[in-house]
Amino acid sequence: MVEQLPQQLVNGLTLGGLYALLALGYSMVYGVLRLLNFAHGDVFMVGAFVGHGVLALFLAENGGSAEAAPMLPPWAIIAAMLLAAMLVSGLLGVVIELVAYRPLRAAPRLSPLLGSLGVSFFLQNVVLLIASARPRAIATEQVLSPSTGLNFGGAQLAPVRLLVILAALALMLALHALVQRTRFGRVMRAVAVDRDAAAMVGVDVDRVIVGTFFLGSALAGAAGVLMGLAFNRVWHLMGFTAGLKGFTAAVLGGIGSMPGAMVGGLVLGLAESFATGFISPTYKDLVAFALLILVLLLRPAGLLGRTTRPKV
Amino acid sequence: MDRWMDRSGRGSRGVAQFRMQVALVVSTVLLLAACGASESSTGTSESAPALRTSVKIGIIAPITGEATTVGTPQLNFARLAVEQFNAVHGTNIELVETDTELDAARAATLTQRLVEDPAVYAIIGPSGSQEVAAALPVGAEAGIAMISPSATRPDLSEQGYNHFFRVVPRDDVQGPTLATFIADELGANKVWIIDDQSSYGTGLADVVDQLLQSWNVVVVRESVGQDVTDFSALVTRMRADAPDVVFIPWQLAANGAQLARQMDEQDVAATLFGGDGMLTEEFIADAAGATEGAYATFFAPDTTMIEAAAPVLAAYREQYGEIGPFGPPAYVATMVALEAIERAARSGELSRASVLAEVAATEQPNSLLGIPVAFDARGDIEGATFFLFQVRDGQFVPVS
Repeated sequence: MVEQLPQQLVNGLTLGGLYALLALGYSMVYGVLRLLNFAHGDVFMVGAFVGHGVLALFLAENGGSAEAAPMLPPWAIIAAMLLAAMLVSGLLGVVIELVAYRPLRAAPRLSPLLGSLGVSFFLQNVVLLIASARPRAIATEQVLSPSTGLNFGGAQLAPVRLLVILAALALMLALHALVQRTRFGRVMRAVAVDRDAAAMVGVDVDRVIVGTFFLGSALAGAAGVLMGLAFNRVWHLMGFTAGLKGFTAAVLGGIGSMPGAMVGGLVLGLAESFATGFISPTYKDLVAFALLILVLLLRPAGLLGRTTRPKV
Repeated sequence: MDRWMDRSGRGSRGVAQFRMQVALVVSTVLLLAACGASESSTGTSESAPALRTSVKIGIIAPITGEATTVGTPQLNFARLAVEQFNAVHGTNIELVETDTELDAARAATLTQRLVEDPAVYAIIGPSGSQEVAAALPVGAEAGIAMISPSATRPDLSEQGYNHFFRVVPRDDVQGPTLATFIADELGANKVWIIDDQSSYGTGLADVVDQLLQSWNVVVVRESVGQDVTDFSALVTRMRADAPDVVFIPWQLAANGAQLARQMDEQDVAATLFGGDGMLTEEFIADAAGATEGAYATFFAPDTTMIEAAAPVLAAYREQYGEIGPFGPPAYVATMVALEAIERAARSGELSRASVLAEVAATEQPNSLLGIPVAFDARGDIEGATFFLFQVRDGQFVPVS
């Protein structure tokens, strides 16, 4: 049993990285708007499709193989996939905010929530109509060697997993730096603490919200590409499950808290992998959600969340 | 106030509204009555040379969605069969195409829709065992023949229905074939069986499980849903357990390919063995070489090796492209239905009941699958066996 541990750690970190990226988007949007954006998972899905499209484009130009006459080295292709997906997803997030959430900003909280569900279904069906229900395969082996990779004390760290873990880490660090060290980050934190007070001191709240949506959605797009590369498949419903897991991770870590989202994602990914490995794959979701309930019972605001009491 | 209220309390505007509503109801009733009358007048008066009036057969298959590599060849072969039959007999039989996306509830709804069209005399499909289970009661009510080209779960023909037929053998034949090969030819001592929580998958897994255990092979049983795309944690567990063979009676070949990939990634040495769901292009194409050497059983032989099948296959290739193994049984099923309709029409009475009787009485000495077609009392095809294939050099190769 124990010999599984290193490999399950690798599996868990891969999943955890993906969940953390998704959870960050949920937490960021919740932080500034107090809104649970259920369309977030589908923005992730769109990002994955964009990544697939970019890869298909490069492979088609090379006659189906990245080795035939490489226009760009594989790492550049992957970078192109990530950048394109992040850009498209980010813009999609901004458009969704403008069209679906901004008009409802003064409405009761339930309205934008239902709106986000509507956007989610809309996106799923648009992609279904364009791409059909057939899952699209991502030929990862064309840009990343499918070899078993490095061996860490019993764990096989394949190149694609290394990519997912490192890319997720890099993006999280970049986001952290952006939020903590830049002016925009400071303004974002201000809006998250108290939107009206921030407006009163001259912060352009609308711009901050747009920026937040762009960042969160761009992360989701990146997660989509990474998931597509790791698990070789994109399909129009992948946003549903992934979004649910990301949302769970965000709540687990403390919704609204960014470190919380990262921790929550990691914990969820590891819990799922360990549950599958040491108990049984049929209990994977049971364990994950039981963990969520347990954490919320003990710490209602999540692992790193803070219960804010309105100060009068 | 009197202006607003007459004695009925509705007011003058209200009275006008009420009259409108009555008029609407009456006209709707008259319209429905007219429709009903016209439908019944065209429904049952077909007789001997009646193949000139509208005769249709329906096909229910997972044309789009995850099982499209099953449903699309089935659809195309059915189309080809109808085309060729019409050309030979000078008829104009139409194929009504419906898509389940491998959803059982939808299969039942589509059966209902086909049954409501009185011009539909037989149904090809559904394809998946769970779809058949949902659709059979609906078809039973209408007494319409349903011929499945791919559902293999044994209990589908054990429910006492007389309208269900299949041109493929059942899993209680596939199970022993598989289990014998795994235990004897591959000499496995420890086997992992992972089912996909579908009606077909768990059924076949149970059969193989019981047989292997009765032969003292160690069996570890696992289960994953069809929507799981990441098997890494499961594969890690598998690697720690070191089985000789991993048996996956799954419906979705893409999942099988993904499992193979991840088994390769983690260096798991076990031989992968699939059921008939694995015999599609995806199992090889999506796996980037990871499925090399894997086995799969299938309910039809390699039709490219049957000489008599060559002209039909050539016609298919010209029109539709590559031949998927799920296609030829659909051709056979469609031909059975068409021939039955023709015999029923010739005997003077074309109705769903007579077509059903003719299907049950089918006796074709040969077919595209190289075997004669006759159904036993439960609707299963007589004498069919399962065939074994192995992936060699990126192709499925028959193994004896």
